[in-house]
Formats: sequence, structure tokens, C-alpha cells
Amino acid sequence: MAISATRPEEQSVGSAITGEAPPDVRGPTAPFPRAIFLLGLASLLVLAIGTVAIQIDYAVVAPPLSQECINAGIDADFTGHAGVCHIIQGLRATEMKVVFILTIVLGLAAIVLGFSTYRKMDTRRKRDNAYDGAILGIQAVLVAAFVWWFSASQQFLTFAKLDLNFAVLAGHVDDFLRGAKNTLVLAFGGEAGGIVIGLVLSLMVLSSRRVVRAPARTYINFFRGTPLIWQLSFAYFGLFLGLGWNPSPFLAAAIVLAVNTGAYSAEVFRAGIQSIERGQVEAARGLGMTYLQSMRYVVVPQAIRRVIPPLMNEFVILIKDTSLVIVLGLAASQFELYSTSQDLYSSTFSATAFVAVALGYLAVTLPLIALVNYVERRLRSGLVGAGGVH
Amino acid sequence: MQANGQDKPNGHVGARDGSDEALVRIEGLHKWFGNHHVLKGIDVTLDPGEVQVVIGPSGSGKSTLLRCVNLLEIPSEGHVWFRGSDLTDIRTDLNRMRTHMGIVFQSFNLFPHKTVMKNITLALHKVLGLGDEEARSRAVEQLEHVGLGQKADAYPGQLSGGQQQRVAIARALAMEPTLMLFDEVTSALDPELVGEVLEVMQELAEGGMTMMVVTHEMGFAREVGTWLLFMEDGVVLERGKPKEIFANPQHERTKTFLSAVL
Repeated sequence: MAISATRPEEQSVGSAITGEAPPDVRGPTAPFPRAIFLLGLASLLVLAIGTVAIQIDYAVVAPPLSQECINAGIDADFTGHAGVCHIIQGLRATEMKVVFILTIVLGLAAIVLGFSTYRKMDTRRKRDNAYDGAILGIQAVLVAAFVWWFSASQQFLTFAKLDLNFAVLAGHVDDFLRGAKNTLVLAFGGEAGGIVIGLVLSLMVLSSRRVVRAPARTYINFFRGTPLIWQLSFAYFGLFLGLGWNPSPFLAAAIVLAVNTGAYSAEVFRAGIQSIERGQVEAARGLGMTYLQSMRYVVVPQAIRRVIPPLMNEFVILIKDTSLVIVLGLAASQFELYSTSQDLYSSTFSATAFVAVALGYLAVTLPLIALVNYVERRLRSGLVGAGGVH
Repeated sequence: MQANGQDKPNGHVGARDGSDEALVRIEGLHKWFGNHHVLKGIDVTLDPGEVQVVIGPSGSGKSTLLRCVNLLEIPSEGHVWFRGSDLTDIRTDLNRMRTHMGIVFQSFNLFPHKTVMKNITLALHKVLGLGDEEARSRAVEQLEHVGLGQKADAYPGQLSGGQQQRVAIARALAMEPTLMLFDEVTSALDPELVGEVLEVMQELAEGGMTMMVVTHEMGFAREVGTWLLFMEDGVVLERGKPKEIFANPQHERTKTFLSAVL
């Protein structure tokens, strides 16, 4: 400040406003951001590819059972002994130690280089590269260290016996496919019924008449306020039988799932309908349409589009909730995914059945989740604002 | 426009000679939103072919007044007569009466999921029960009337604000109403698009349509209005010929309002 006051003749216009520029403290630019990123990525890939390759090698070559396996009870009397022991042997092999060490060395290099240089990168993109490389390195080192430590421990033998005995799945692929089919039948049945019930309930809840709202509210609160497992048990063991009706557990389950989903989708529909601007109804009523006509031709068609993502979310939840029907004691032909795995577990006492069924659920739900995200992105990217989705 | 040219004293137009030629007669209209008293006893009468322009500061109740005419807002007290029927009588078939009065909103309120054509034909089909061909020909006629004949297959989102508003006018006109209500229809438009909408409205007025127009467009009020009504705080402060009020406002509040907006 003193400068500008004492030497006005030397001032440029800029410095008169901003004062003196701060000193340049940036220092030299760091090199190789891309290389650091690739280093981090390489450490993860080495671990993944190395592990898979060694596992395949042991499965194909099938060396004789190691002494430690036999000592741990993984011997000829144990179903699936070869598969389990080969997994253990593969993870404990010398080649695997090389993979672990290589992973950790590469990972540490990425961590050190990334964290020491990212501040000196001259563009944001380069800085992100260095930073991401370091983070990938951390992930690789942590995973490698854990797997190395755990696979070398005595406890791992028990873990592998219980959870990695994939031989017990042999001959049960059809069971799992049937389970997947039944799960989807229950889920789609529940969703279809639920949408119809939910749409009617949501219109009732939005009524201006308390006497119409009250029963719908009661229904929704009741089914949202009690556990699904209670609803299934009570309906099947208590209500239906008490009413003199004896449906199959599968049919009873489908009905309860629909009735339950109806309560949840009613709230989704209500929110969707309420999200349509008031002006839409006013325009429709202003043209002489009745309340029901304005709902049917103007509001609901627009609301449906907005509720597709949350409805699909509900559907993913419903798919998982179908597992609860196991409490009704289904017949074998009606097993859905979870009861299939439970049944397999009780005949083999291998938790590998549960590992497998998780993959079954994910095979159904992951594509759906991806679809939800896609639809949401499309809806948000202005197609709603642009009016039609055509 | 000049059919009812005889001079009437300002503010007394509601108290007419009781003949039943009036298209709209609002009597003693009150509206409360909760404790908020928005309309405090309004009396207005509108004869066929007249254009009633309503001006006033925001919050004065002018939009509420307009929306009470087709009962989008239900009056708390008082009566609204339309073509001899009391709309506030619960036994009146409102849906049928509304087919005779079109309303156009500030926010267009086109149906975004339907094409321009379907926006117009929807009510023709579902309310008037017209067949496909007649509905389409009416829609085409009205679209050409507002200069948008080539936009029939567009979606509202693909149109400019001015075009959307003209479609909204065409949608209302296709019902062949005897009264048109305009609720600040140019307020949401870019300034350069206001003209095209006002032009359509002016043509409509010159064609003899009875209109009630809430607006901030003082030029339109002066040129097109048969009557100008100045509202503040839920009451009609002044009503008369637009040119007279603009030239010689009686009320102090009218003066300050007009000097602020002109």
C-alpha cells in the first residue's frame, strides 16, 4: 500500500487495484502422472490376474493333496476335497507369494510416487492421475496383505472347507435355475398386484374427502408398520385358514407380497402425482374435464413416467424380500432362490450354497439396478423438461 | 368493442338495470384463504363482446377474481352468474359450464406428454365427444388462427414460450367458448415474445369475443379494453373506460400505480 502511495508515476492500472502480485511459489512441475496411475492399476491387475491364473493352474494340473489339507480333514472322505485343497494350495504356493510381493512393491511405489508428486502436477487432470494411482496402490496393498495373511493362517482351512467347496453345487444348477424362476414369478406377481393396489390407494389418499382417505391411510400404515415376515406367517397360518381357504404357500406368498407392495407403491404414486404441477389439473378442469378425466388423461400419464425409477427400486427390494417366503414351508418345486440354498445347505452343511445364491440374486438385481440408474439419468437429462419421452 | 359505448359513471357498472343480457355477473364476491381475506366484496358485470381488463399491484386479488369466474377458486361468499346460471350453486353442472369459458394461464400449462395436436383434441374428444375428424379440423383451424399450423406434431417442450402460449389459446378456443379468461398470460414470456401473444388476443377481441384479462400490459389495456378495473387489496378501487382512467384517474392510489407502471 505504501508503494502505490509513494510512487504513483510507476503504477500500472492493474497494480493500482490489486496491489503487488504474490510471489510465484509453484516450483518445478512433476513428471509422469500417467505412469503413476498405471503403476497403481498394475498392482491391482497383477494381484487379480496372478491369483486367477494360479488357481486355474492348480485346478487343471490337480496335484496330490497336501499334507496340511489331509491333517485338516480335507481328505478322501470329505466331499469336494480336491477342489477345496487346490484353492488352499494355490493361495499358499510359492508363485502366489511372488504375486503378493510384486503387488505390494508396485502398490507401494504408486503410493509413494503419487502422494509425493500430486501437488506439483500442473493440471488438474494430471493431479487426479497421480492421486488415483496412489489410491489404487493402497487398495492393492491392503487386499494383497489381507489375503496373504489370511490364506496362510490355520483358520483359512476351516473357511475354505465351509465356504469355498464349490463341488457341492455340482448337479444343483437346475435347482438354482428353478429357484431363480420362482423368485422372479413371486416378484413379478407381487409387483403387478402391488401396482394396481398402489395406484388405487394413492388416488384414495389424495382425495379431498376424509372418509375416502382414512381407509387407504389405515391400509398403508398397517402394511408399512408390520414386518413382512409377520404378514406372511399370519396370512398363511392364521387368516387364510381361519377364513376356510387353504391356498398353496406359494400362492399365499404372492398375495401377501402384492398386498404389501401395494402399500409401498401407493406412497410412490402419491408422491409422483403430487409432483405434477397444479397447473396441469387446472388446465384440464378449465377445459371442462371431470376430476377423474384430468387424472386419467393428464396427471397419471405424466406421474407414471416420474415414478418409474422409484418403482423399480421398490422392485429390487421386493426381489430380495421374496426370500422371506421360506417361513411358509414351500414344497420343493416351489423353492425360490433362498430356500434352494437353504435346502442345499441342510443336505451338505456347506455354506458354499449361500455363496452361490448371492451370485444368483446379484445376477437378477445388478442389471435392474443398472437399468434404474440409466432411466433416472435419462429422465434427469431434460427429457422431462422437454415434454415427451418420444 | 364499441357496442356498449354509452358512458357509465366510474365504479357503478356492477349496479346495472337488471336486464339479463349480461354474460358474467359477479355479485358480492368474497374469498378467504384461511384467515387471509383476498377478495372483499367484488361486483362486476360483463356484457357479450366486452373486454374487461383487470389491473392492480401484485397481491391485490386480481388473479383470484379471474379464477373465481370459472370456479377454479371456489368463492367463499357471493355469486358468479354465467349465461344466467349461478355457478356458485352446487347443483350447477360446472364441468359443462366450463366448456363455454376458456382459460389461459401465466404458465401455459400445456400437457407436456402430448403433441400440440393432442393437447387441443383431448378435451374435444373426451369432453365434447367430437369424432376424430371434427376434432382435428377444429384444432387445425385454431392453430392456423394463432399462426402455428405447422407445429401440430411438435411437443410443447420444443416450442418457445410465445408459441406455447399461443397453443394454449388455440386449445381454449377450440372448445368454442363464449368467454375467454386470460390470467397474466404474457408475464412469463421473454419481452420479445410478448407481442405475438398480445396480437392474437387483440384479434380475438376485435372479432367480438368476450374476454376478461388480468394483465400488466398497459398498452393492451388502453387499446383493447372496453372496461378497465383497478384493484387493490381485494377491492375494486376504480372501474371505467381505459382511456379515461389513464388520462384522469379518480383515485389517489390509481394515480400512483399508473405513474409507476407507465
